[in-house]
Amino acid sequence: MARKISFSKALNEAMIQEMERDENVFILGEDVAKMGGDFGITSGIWDRWPNRAFDTALSESAITGLSCGASVCGLRPVAELMFADFITVCYDQLVNNAAKLNYMYQGEASAQMVVRAVTGGGIRCAYHHSQCIEPWLMNIPGLVIVAPATPYEAKGLLVASIRNNNPVVFLEHKHLYNIKGEVPEELYEIPLYEAHVEREGTDITIVAAMSMLKFAQKAADEMAAKGISVEIVNPRTIFPLDKETIKESVAKTGRLIVVQEGPKVMGYGAEIGAMLGEELFEYLKAPIKRVTSLDTPVPFAPGMEDYVLPHYEDVITACNEVMAY
Amino acid sequence: MALSKEHLLKVYEDMLLIRRFEEEVEVYAKNGTIPGFIHLSIGQEAAQAGVVDVLKDTDYKFPDHRGHGAIVLSSKAEDRKRCMSEIFAKASGINGGRGGSMHVHDLSVRNMGFNGIQGSTVVTALGTAFNSVYRKNDDVTVVFMGDGTLGEGTCHESMNMSATWKLPLIYVLINNHYAISTHYTESHPQKQLSTWGLGYEVPSFTIDGNDIEEVIEVTQKAVDRARKGEGPTLIEMMSYRWQGHFSGDPAAYRPDGELEAWKEKDPLKIAKERLQEKHGVTADEIKAISERVEVEIAKYVKFSLESPVPKPEDAVKYVYTDREVEGR
Repeated sequence: MARKISFSKALNEAMIQEMERDENVFILGEDVAKMGGDFGITSGIWDRWPNRAFDTALSESAITGLSCGASVCGLRPVAELMFADFITVCYDQLVNNAAKLNYMYQGEASAQMVVRAVTGGGIRCAYHHSQCIEPWLMNIPGLVIVAPATPYEAKGLLVASIRNNNPVVFLEHKHLYNIKGEVPEELYEIPLYEAHVEREGTDITIVAAMSMLKFAQKAADEMAAKGISVEIVNPRTIFPLDKETIKESVAKTGRLIVVQEGPKVMGYGAEIGAMLGEELFEYLKAPIKRVTSLDTPVPFAPGMEDYVLPHYEDVITACNEVMAY
Repeated sequence: MALSKEHLLKVYEDMLLIRRFEEEVEVYAKNGTIPGFIHLSIGQEAAQAGVVDVLKDTDYKFPDHRGHGAIVLSSKAEDRKRCMSEIFAKASGINGGRGGSMHVHDLSVRNMGFNGIQGSTVVTALGTAFNSVYRKNDDVTVVFMGDGTLGEGTCHESMNMSATWKLPLIYVLINNHYAISTHYTESHPQKQLSTWGLGYEVPSFTIDGNDIEEVIEVTQKAVDRARKGEGPTLIEMMSYRWQGHFSGDPAAYRPDGELEAWKEKDPLKIAKERLQEKHGVTADEIKAISERVEVEIAKYVKFSLESPVPKPEDAVKYVYTDREVEGR
């Protein structure tokens, strides 16, 4: 039965229910056990399973390295990176180890692990606690990057990620933690690698993930009032991308806007744009637009950070431009 | 701890197998049959053979990049030729040709394979050791590393965690003195690298890594300790690689006479002399061992040369467990 719970609670429920179901699942990370995580996402787990929840030293390489080794033995670690930015100090384990284990072991074993990483800006914590890291991982075949946008997705995608046999970097945007939405009480999976058409439309396709989905939805409403029909595609899995769903949508609308938090250069918007340029050139009625953060570090001062992060008005401007082209 | 005659004969043969394996690999690397680069462990046989001798098939082994010997000896007899054919980049190789010299693994004997990044397996090994604690069994994990590896920050994270959580993990640090061209005393302040473990309150030893009896004795103690749940041990095994860093490196950075001095401490020579002088093993018995090893090695080489190469298009397999990657 569905009830309204927060994105945070949905994640917590996913882990608890998976731990009830499968004793190979355990959690580890900095302050995830007794404290329940810096953002409270793992609260209550250590109380129930003190032998399956582990507080570690500040050692991201050890956390992810242990996860790789344990997962090859058949365990299912769910590690937390308190801030996704910290991935730089365990990048080797994810890129050179986790992503290659199935390949090296030729399918006999794999890094069946989840690294939950708290991502994104807007909390006034400057450039080491605010970055969107997905482009740093998007050209590493073997990795999976999952990016939920709603409480319903948070639970269903985390369950699917825990059960998946590939290494999954599971992005949790801080701005989404407190939003509420309908979430079934029972366990369910939302399939990985499948984008979701949030709203059907005929004139413009907007691709938007995580916290950018709300911009897309607001823009779709605003454009609808002007008689413009916007289709919204939420990738859910950012890498590997569900290219087919995006192509089907753009083949129909002929216009694409990607709304993406994080620098414009080499983001998933760049990949989607290149893909459509290669494969759907003749369908395009207007240039592809990207609405993104600026190509700067994320600054601290609220006015400066707001200046750098994507602006809603730019989504509307982009919509008007592609329609006027 | 002195080994019995039979035990010493067995590990002598193991060491000789490594020596001959490496010498053949060198021949085929130099003549271009083996692609890429090769790190040879000639001179370091005792450390590899001794440690593997102590371990069970169910113990987890993380060899290092100079670890052909540990890999071959860990493997079941029928799979040893596939370790060599992997280095020859053949389809029959134990990794199907995906890994090569630096990534040979065999999960059936819990040889977890190396990783081309120094210090990487030092933290991965935490996971297999953790698994033994989580599942409440007594399997231990051995991670091989070198003096150069210790420059990596992951070594701190690993030992800090294994010591705090008392994980059944044995750090076998084969100190062959050089990280490529840099002598360990130029990059580390300690006279002996085993003192690194003391800051974590981990029992740490420096031993003669060319004396297989000493290697086995100290490793056995560390393994026993780990099996009892008493935590990690660090063993620094002093040794020397006779070749350069990779096959073809002339090793001009070594002072004159150093290699010759270490050749006097050849682990095979030490074991052979002990067999002959202490155990009365005859020259004929030694010769019989050599002949057996030659037959084995000849089998591996023939198999490696005759095996077909992998299908290029198989390169797209096993990227993910549950989805295909596009080929050409």
